[in-house]
Amino acid sequence: MSITNLLENWSDFRQQHPSEDRPHREYKWAMSIDLDACTGCNACSVACYAENNLPVVGKEKFAHGHSHHWIRIERYWDNDGREFADQGAQFLPMLCQQCESAPCETVCPVGATNHTADGLNSQVYNRCVGSRYCNANCPYKARYFNWYDYPTTDNVWPEPMNQQLNPDVTVRGKGVMEKCTFCVQRLTVAKSNARSEGRSVLDGEVQTACQQVCPTGAISFGNLVDPSAKVGKQWKQQQVELNKDKQAKDATESAAKLRGYRILEELRTYPSVMYLEQLRESAI
Amino acid sequence: MIENSFNRRGFLKVLGWGGATVALSGCGNTSVEDGKEFVTSYVQTADYIIPSIGTYFNSTCAQCNAGCGIMGRVREGRVLKLEGNPKSPINNGKMCGLGQAGVQAHYNPDRIREPLLRNGDKGEAITWEKALALINEKVGGVKAENVAFLTGGVSGHVKALLKNYLDALGSGHHYVYEAVAPSVVRVANKKAYGVEMPRLRLDKAKVIVSFGADFLGAWISPVHFSQQYARFRKADKGERGVLVQVESKMTLTGANADRWLAIRPGTEGILALGLINALAAAGRSVPGDVVAAVKEYTVDRVSKDTGVSAEHIGKLAALLKERSPSLIIAGSAVEGYAHGSQNATAIALLNQVLGNVGKTVEAPSSVPFPQMAPTPGNRFALQALNDNMAQDKVKVLFSYGANPVFTAPASMKLKENLKKVPFKVAFAHYMDETAVEADLVLPLNSALEDWATAMPEYIAEGAQLSIQQPLMEKLYPGTLGMGDILLALLKQRRPDEYKGYEDFYSYLRSAMVSIKGVLGGANEDDDTFWDTALSRGVVKLVGAPVNISSNASAKGLVVPAPFVEDSAYPLHLIPAVSASMRDGRNANEPWLQESPDPLTTIVWDSWVEMHPKTAAKLGIVEGDIVEVASKSGAIKAQVYVFTGIHPDVISVPLGYGHEAMGRYAKGVGVNAFKILDPIFDKETGELAMHETRVKVTKAGQRVVIVKDEGPAGGNQMGRKIAVRMSSSKVNLSEEV
Repeated sequence: MSITNLLENWSDFRQQHPSEDRPHREYKWAMSIDLDACTGCNACSVACYAENNLPVVGKEKFAHGHSHHWIRIERYWDNDGREFADQGAQFLPMLCQQCESAPCETVCPVGATNHTADGLNSQVYNRCVGSRYCNANCPYKARYFNWYDYPTTDNVWPEPMNQQLNPDVTVRGKGVMEKCTFCVQRLTVAKSNARSEGRSVLDGEVQTACQQVCPTGAISFGNLVDPSAKVGKQWKQQQVELNKDKQAKDATESAAKLRGYRILEELRTYPSVMYLEQLRESAI
Repeated sequence: MIENSFNRRGFLKVLGWGGATVALSGCGNTSVEDGKEFVTSYVQTADYIIPSIGTYFNSTCAQCNAGCGIMGRVREGRVLKLEGNPKSPINNGKMCGLGQAGVQAHYNPDRIREPLLRNGDKGEAITWEKALALINEKVGGVKAENVAFLTGGVSGHVKALLKNYLDALGSGHHYVYEAVAPSVVRVANKKAYGVEMPRLRLDKAKVIVSFGADFLGAWISPVHFSQQYARFRKADKGERGVLVQVESKMTLTGANADRWLAIRPGTEGILALGLINALAAAGRSVPGDVVAAVKEYTVDRVSKDTGVSAEHIGKLAALLKERSPSLIIAGSAVEGYAHGSQNATAIALLNQVLGNVGKTVEAPSSVPFPQMAPTPGNRFALQALNDNMAQDKVKVLFSYGANPVFTAPASMKLKENLKKVPFKVAFAHYMDETAVEADLVLPLNSALEDWATAMPEYIAEGAQLSIQQPLMEKLYPGTLGMGDILLALLKQRRPDEYKGYEDFYSYLRSAMVSIKGVLGGANEDDDTFWDTALSRGVVKLVGAPVNISSNASAKGLVVPAPFVEDSAYPLHLIPAVSASMRDGRNANEPWLQESPDPLTTIVWDSWVEMHPKTAAKLGIVEGDIVEVASKSGAIKAQVYVFTGIHPDVISVPLGYGHEAMGRYAKGVGVNAFKILDPIFDKETGELAMHETRVKVTKAGQRVVIVKDEGPAGGNQMGRKIAVRMSSSKVNLSEEV
């Protein structure tokens, strides 16, 4: 890629999502999470530690907000002043929303976080200088900073625990920002396999670690460009459109019957994760 | 540094004799560096192994007794991650966080690496030959009746070998102990349904009323139940199942209920009988003798006794009448009282009146090989062993898969009684509280390096034998599998019978191959059968159908009136069984310590759950350190205030407060087992876990609780983050 080529064809190289006249070509990875199926059991979070080499920081650093859980379960109560939490809790798995117009990307002074052609918000570790601007700008608090050099910190990966580290995923050192990647190492393998067979990745061929472990199957993941993908069908049925900051359904009555929504959509982040509202029975 | 850091000096001091392990084994784990082993090039590897590409091998999870099938991702000879085995009908490819942490049990830095023999207060490394010869000498020197074997729940070929070893010694003293098993409910089920563990079909039920059964978190087979729960919530026909949870302390399952009903502790049976009465009054056909037996349980009285509002009792009865079939589940909260059996029987009766037996409460199938069938553990077993030790009837004690010094209440004086046993052998992974007390500690292979078979107590469909196979080479040459140890011990006693087996693997293979006909391999040659079994990880068995009965009867069923308050100890203590910590055996796996408790979001410590009303009465705020004192002892922990608990109750999670075990477990939190009062279920003699009364006093300090929840404490502050809507508005059958 010469610089002349880059400048002349700038609009081809620049990812201008979300945009209707520039649709994603082959892949647009997206997720949907059914909050009525999610039980808040935390299996997704532990699976993410196992897959993505997340450090266990210990009590003191956890207290300082230094925990590294790329997917965490947020737990809310909706008591409304009643004596008991008698309709249970509201659990919400929170992870990087892989925003199409990510607030973290625009503020990075070195371009360490940017958008990939298949719609991921990527983090380039060896470009990151640790300004943490992205962290400050993320409305979902989904970015985690390496305040310490965890590989050399006592009791994080003591021998032989370091043998469990996933060789497909970089072990991050001090001063680097990190976050959920939609298990990009799995996506890369799937895309490569598909390419060598001259096809696209099939729906269900690749799963994220959180999706694979989830005991209730609350998480769906796939390619929004693929019309046969479950995740795309879910988005369509729920009338949630990727490239809108206000969904057309919200102005109509059908919104009251549909569960799909995106968190803080009004901030024009265009998240790639759709949630389905939790349900509660009114007869009891 | 992690706060409860591994301080070697302190570690040695408390552990007493763990020194030799640390000193002798060093930190390396391969013998390649010191030239004892050759490095074989990957050029000569099996066809299917490609460097840098993971290969999956099936096995069985050993983190709890549910027996989920797992597949381990193995790369360059190391196991990296576990996934669920899609071929296992128990978990269908899914897993839980506890299961995920299995790799941390395997790669744990605090594992014991060679046999240790007590020398004063130190442990000296000895060879396996010496260790096994010593056992032979010790068991040979005492009467068979003075040999006791304490284990957790056992099944499969290890159980068969264990029984053979005990038979060879001439002793039948096998104590099967589980600290948090549903042991009272099993007995009540046996009476009511004719089977201890019926198959619960959550997916077929339209309404589930769970009396304190945390089936999504830590009860029996949570991954299996979670999948059924998903189908219950989103049925093919689109009708969403309704979950009502009745309990005094909110569990993970309670947090997912459409209605969580806070009930006065111990009055679950009263509510069940009240619901039968309300159903009869609403026109549901109920046998005459049952109607007569429950007629006293009017809505007003039941509401007064249980604290559940008359409105909710009425709505619940109406729901159960309208939507059928339903499923009523008696969980661990029900059985935790001196009248636990009666509570469980009342709930079984409600199931029967609703006609659920045979519909959502199904018969399991029998297990064709009783010698391998699961022997589930209970709490009574430890009681019996403890009594025998106190009376000097135990001369040689083996302990495997249990940590009684940690899980026994202080009132049992188990640690003192243990000292009366002249020779104690602990088969262990860590220098846990029991291993520290032992005379001989035998280090076990991790579950990911060992051969075994398992038959879970709760099998989802048919009968099955799950295979546990090594997912990689042993990390330490000095550890051995339980099967191998038992085989070696049996060779001492019955050499003619067992000398043909070089190791447990050859025993297991030949035992399986010899019955391949009934294991579905009648038309296959031995190698094909064995390879197929290993690659599937699960062998289906054909079990005979078992009849389920509706024997629950109102006759003789008396549920006592609610508690009389005790002014000296005004609060009820509920020791909570959390999905990660359970009875504490996995506490040294740091992912579990750092995985926030789902309800409180607390990490790396114990806590005392308290209702805001109770806290206000006692002048307590979040983070206050309090002393929780029962008649049997006291513990100190931080208070977490929330509305998922009855005001008469406080709750402390179990599994924390290890004094040994390893760097991630030791000194984290407090051990709630210790202060449980010695009160027992009247019918089964099981320790009544929820009977302990306590008083709570401020200890003067206050801490900032380390938790994941933000300062808003679970309030969304009007933002649309986690959204909830009424199920009547949605047509789930239209959804994808």
